[in-house]
Amino acid sequence: MPSIVTGQPPPLQNPLLPLREIQRTSLEPRIREHLKIETVFHRCLCTDSGLIYNQHACNILITFADGKSRKQVPLKKENGQTVTVPLFQSQENIAGKITIEPMQGKKIDHNGVKVELLGQIEMYFDRGNFYDFTSLVRELDVPGEIYERKTYPFEFSTVEMPYETYNGVNVRLRYNFLKFTAMKFSAFAFFFGYKGGIVECKRLDAASCLFVPAALYVLKVTISRGYGGSIIEYQDFMVRNYTPPPPINNSIKMEVGIEDCLHIEFEYNKSKYHLKDVIIGKIYFLLVRIKIKNMDLEIRRRESTGSGTNTHVETETLAKFELMDGAPVRGESIPIRLFLSPYELTPTHRNINNKFSVKYFLNLVLVDEEDRRYFKQQEITMYRLQDETS
Amino acid sequence: MVLVLALGDLHIPHRAHDLPAKFKSMLVPGKIQHIICTGNLCIKEVHDYLKTLCPDLHITRGEYDEETKYPETKTLTIGQFKLGLCHGHQVIPWGDLDSLAMLQRQLDVDILITGHTHQFTAYKHEGGVVINPGSATGAYSSITYEVNPSFVLMDIDGLRVVVYVYELIDGEVKVDKIDFKKTSSTHPAH
Amino acid sequence: MIADGIEDEEKWLAEGIAGIQHNAFYMHRALDANNLREALKYSAHMLSELRTSKLSPHKYYDLYMRAFDELRRLEIFFKDESRHGVSIVDLYELVQHAGNILPRLYLLCTVGSVYIRSKEAPVRDVLKDLVEMCRGVQHPIRGLFLRSYLSQVSRDKLPDIGSEYEGDADSVMDSVEFVLQNFTEMNKLWVRLQHQGPGQIREKREKERNELRDLVGKNLHLLSQIEGVDLEMYKDTVLPRVLEQVVNCKDELAQFYLMECIIQVFPDEYHLQTLETLLGACPQLQPTVDIRTVLSQLMERLSNYAASSTDVLPEFLQVEAFTKLSSAIGRVIEAQVDMPIVGAIALQVSLLTFTLRVHPDRLDYVDQVLGACVKKLSDKPKLDDKRATKQVVALLSAPLDKYNDIVTALTLSNYPRVMDHLDNETNKVMAMVIIQSVMKNNTCISTADKVEVLFELIKGLIKDSDGTDLDEVKLITCDVDEEDFNEEQNSVARLIHMLHNNDPEEMVKIICTVKKHIMSGGPRRLPFTVPSLVFSALRLIRQLQGQDGDVVGEDVPATPKKIFQLLNETIEALSSVPSPELALRLYLQCAEAANDCDLEPVAYEFFTQAFVLYEEEIADSKAQVTAIHLIIGMLQRMNVFGVENRDTLTHKATGYSAKLLKKPDQCRAVYACSHLFWVDDQDGIKDGERVLLCLKRALRIANAAQQMANVTRGSSGPVTLFVEILNKYLYYFEKGNPHITSATIQGLLELINTEIQSPTSDAFFASTLRYIQFQKQKGGILGEKYDSIKVHWERQCTSAMTLLYNFFGFF
Repeated sequence: MPSIVTGQPPPLQNPLLPLREIQRTSLEPRIREHLKIETVFHRCLCTDSGLIYNQHACNILITFADGKSRKQVPLKKENGQTVTVPLFQSQENIAGKITIEPMQGKKIDHNGVKVELLGQIEMYFDRGNFYDFTSLVRELDVPGEIYERKTYPFEFSTVEMPYETYNGVNVRLRYNFLKFTAMKFSAFAFFFGYKGGIVECKRLDAASCLFVPAALYVLKVTISRGYGGSIIEYQDFMVRNYTPPPPINNSIKMEVGIEDCLHIEFEYNKSKYHLKDVIIGKIYFLLVRIKIKNMDLEIRRRESTGSGTNTHVETETLAKFELMDGAPVRGESIPIRLFLSPYELTPTHRNINNKFSVKYFLNLVLVDEEDRRYFKQQEITMYRLQDETS
Repeated sequence: MVLVLALGDLHIPHRAHDLPAKFKSMLVPGKIQHIICTGNLCIKEVHDYLKTLCPDLHITRGEYDEETKYPETKTLTIGQFKLGLCHGHQVIPWGDLDSLAMLQRQLDVDILITGHTHQFTAYKHEGGVVINPGSATGAYSSITYEVNPSFVLMDIDGLRVVVYVYELIDGEVKVDKIDFKKTSSTHPAH
Repeated sequence: MIADGIEDEEKWLAEGIAGIQHNAFYMHRALDANNLREALKYSAHMLSELRTSKLSPHKYYDLYMRAFDELRRLEIFFKDESRHGVSIVDLYELVQHAGNILPRLYLLCTVGSVYIRSKEAPVRDVLKDLVEMCRGVQHPIRGLFLRSYLSQVSRDKLPDIGSEYEGDADSVMDSVEFVLQNFTEMNKLWVRLQHQGPGQIREKREKERNELRDLVGKNLHLLSQIEGVDLEMYKDTVLPRVLEQVVNCKDELAQFYLMECIIQVFPDEYHLQTLETLLGACPQLQPTVDIRTVLSQLMERLSNYAASSTDVLPEFLQVEAFTKLSSAIGRVIEAQVDMPIVGAIALQVSLLTFTLRVHPDRLDYVDQVLGACVKKLSDKPKLDDKRATKQVVALLSAPLDKYNDIVTALTLSNYPRVMDHLDNETNKVMAMVIIQSVMKNNTCISTADKVEVLFELIKGLIKDSDGTDLDEVKLITCDVDEEDFNEEQNSVARLIHMLHNNDPEEMVKIICTVKKHIMSGGPRRLPFTVPSLVFSALRLIRQLQGQDGDVVGEDVPATPKKIFQLLNETIEALSSVPSPELALRLYLQCAEAANDCDLEPVAYEFFTQAFVLYEEEIADSKAQVTAIHLIIGMLQRMNVFGVENRDTLTHKATGYSAKLLKKPDQCRAVYACSHLFWVDDQDGIKDGERVLLCLKRALRIANAAQQMANVTRGSSGPVTLFVEILNKYLYYFEKGNPHITSATIQGLLELINTEIQSPTSDAFFASTLRYIQFQKQKGGILGEKYDSIKVHWERQCTSAMTLLYNFFGFF
């Protein structure tokens, strides 16, 4: 797969590096080889509050012990819906109750009831690969039958959840893809009772494909049955891990440019920012021989999945913040103050389970009168800082 | 009421640099109907200046005048009066009233205006009136010592003429007046 | 093409205004609904209209003002937390989320205004932040308006003495810092406009810059309004910082405008006390800056300040204002090597104006200024630049106008030196100015030294510039305009009468000095200048006459005799012109004066000279007539001559009289001579016989004239001459000349009667008869005398010849 050349972060040792001059970025079409929908449909089956419309004979309700006091946060799902789920941190106890209630007059024979806490990484959308990096199980009941409502308490204590929920879902595109897929596999959709509501059918040739990583947590209740299939119920929950302010947080200061054309020195006050932080810095112009129209600071997120030769990178510009309007002269110093709170940022994820990374970059872009763009990209580390309000 | 300004012997620039300031401020254009000048201005500048005071300017030649074309004598009629003008260096003895009277008879005028002596006089005799306006600048004269700047303004009204003489004495302008009447148009007055 | 541009601009402006109005509408709706999010959204959209690059400053201002008005409504909304529920601190952050910088900063400034007013944060911090953040807008026009907006919303909230925002001791400094910084940035942007914009023509750019200049200048005005900016702060901080920016921006337009601003906006006392600093910037400015106007303005203000009250003057002296200004000007001239001479002189003229207003008593200062000019002018031998010349004339005229007294100007040692550098024409013009100043103010110059200096000054009029006589130069090619020349010389002549001293010694010195100078004038000038000098000297002689005291001391120059000697030399010079008629008149004047001084030989000498001129030089008949009458008239008055001398002169006079060209002239001159023998004085000569001889001679001439008229015209000429002679007879008759009897007169009467139609046909005769009648009627002795004369009103039948024979037969 061809990859987007976005410029490499320079080594700190080399002070003056030419800014690369690039053409206007354009999204290159990627050709999908085949479509796999399993994962999608797999996901689609999850709905709010664990209730599920299926032909199975019972209702499974999963509740959390501290459900009322625990913070609830929105979680965007692949089908475009946003659900509210409880928020946990690593090392927390996850406990609650599972209530199984058979349908009116029905009785469920089973080979056992268990609840699993799964932390999963999904890398390639098409392959529907899940990697469980965390898997804990609690047996709730021995084989038997359930003929009336039964409640099982469960608890997972001090769960190691080293990675926080990362949902790289680009809903819209996925939704579009779903439409396509749904059309093709409409029988499946109907069969699974997919509640997606396809309004129109669009064909997407050479569909845009996004290699979107995700790290997700779910409680999975399984009522095992030999025949007729197990009855499974999911409950998503969100994990966010907080880190304290880093003890060392150096500023980023660098002089870059193009020989005889443009020399600037940029400075960002930190190299590590928390999600509600402010980027404070300045751009100092040492040499200006081009006619600059304006200067922006972009926040770009790069998700890379896979490793080695199979690395796939997806970059998205999350913010475009104008720093300067008009042409400066040598000696000007332009202040930077960019509040991060309006943007949907996540912490930097490095090598999650060796499966994916999510990195953030500040991209300083200068545009001249002839619409040439000069840029300098610089990685910053995002982290989540404990905050009562977040 | 006809105002006639009579002056002369300014001797600018030979003997004086300019009219006294007090005179200049009094002599305003447009107030005077005629100017009678005995002569010895001496230069065109003075002529032009007098012209600005009044366009009806009558001059006779003084012996120092730059302009050689001024007449030796001149007569003119203003109202009921016949006036005669002559510088006076031609009439010998200079300043002699009888000799001047002769000139008056010769010119056949009621009022004879002459200069040259730089001394104001206004003399009435059977033949008429002889007026010498003196020197408007108080110029040096071999004839008269202690010359005070002076000029004469005549107010001719019918058969009567009032002669106002303005003299600059010790920096102040002093005015005197003399009345003359004539009985009829042809015979001069007593 | 340009017209299209204007039309396009109109279109864009209209679009911009529509955009603002559109978004404002929605913004108002949001405000009414207390919907902060929406309000911010629409206000940001609205402000995006200001991001345009298409409008000229003039039109941009229009757009800006509309946005400004809308932002005021927004500000009111921001102020009221109960409406939107967001604290001001949070609001301050919230507006910074806007993606585009221009709307963001406008909103930030608006919130900032509210923030300051809330006093939740130190004013200094907010101000500092705002002025810093505005650096993001580097586009000149947009940046200028943005910062202008900042200035406008903050101006009533600057910490100041007595303001509600007054903080600690440093708060005024904070305000000053804020304004200074905003000013500095605005100036940088403004200057940048000069070099920006593709293909814009210079005039258009300058026009745009001029439209924007007040935005920059307002900051200085603001600084001057801050109460807390006292002299010290101005001196230590404000002025140096402002000047630093002015100098460093290296932009001609900005420098000129800002220097003017500084001068106009800050108090004069400040200028006086910071003179050195202010002036120190001048040489550092761009050479093209009209530094002269700047300095003139400064000096004008200081002059007005000096004039405002007398208490102020010591301050000027204490700060050595003049010296500082003078050296500053010197430095500017030095620094700007290419400055044309007109500029340098113009600067000095400004300084001189200042000096004359502020330190009129300090002639040394005035002289210093003149000296500086001399130094500058020394580079060239003569000025040939018309404008520079004009400036030099202004320079030289200023002290004259101020002091109204040429004498003061005469003490300025550099004055003549400056004049030397003028070209000849202008030198003369200046000389005229000087003379006119003397005349206008009636200045009397009373010492020979001063006269010397004065004549040195006006030497351009006194003589030819290179010392040669005009004669040597071909008069045809001479570029001297005749009228101008005459005017000049007449002015010099008039000037001579202004040189006077009552002390005869000094007066003689003055006369000698004048004589010395005018003698070098050449024949064209002498006829103008000599008479004045002569009469001036004659006046002195008369004065000495009056002081009939003893001559004290041996070597006293002031005696009439010595002066007559002088006069003689002076009048003699007229022979070079030649000007015999004038010389003759002057000799006669001197003769009379000598007569009055009882100096017979001197008087005789003068008469002799006059006669020589008459004999040898005066050829024109008319001139001769006048001349002879003058001689006769003058001689008649002489009483100093002894018999011999008198006889000689009288004989000459009568002789020449008879030799005049025309008979009538001869007649008149001869009868005039009769008066030489009769002086109606106590000891005067009364030679009746010779009187009669003259009259008879005159009669003979008259007769001859009559006969000639008969011959040439066929009819008898007028009897005027006879009547004139008759009158003379009557004159002597009345005076009691024994040789003239009533019979004599009767005879003449008869004679005349024969010549005329009727007694009344000749008016002169008629009036003479009337006179006789009148005298008869007088009665008394006179009446008796006249009684024997019979006036016939009928014509007698006796023939003319018989009458004549009878008449002559009596003798």
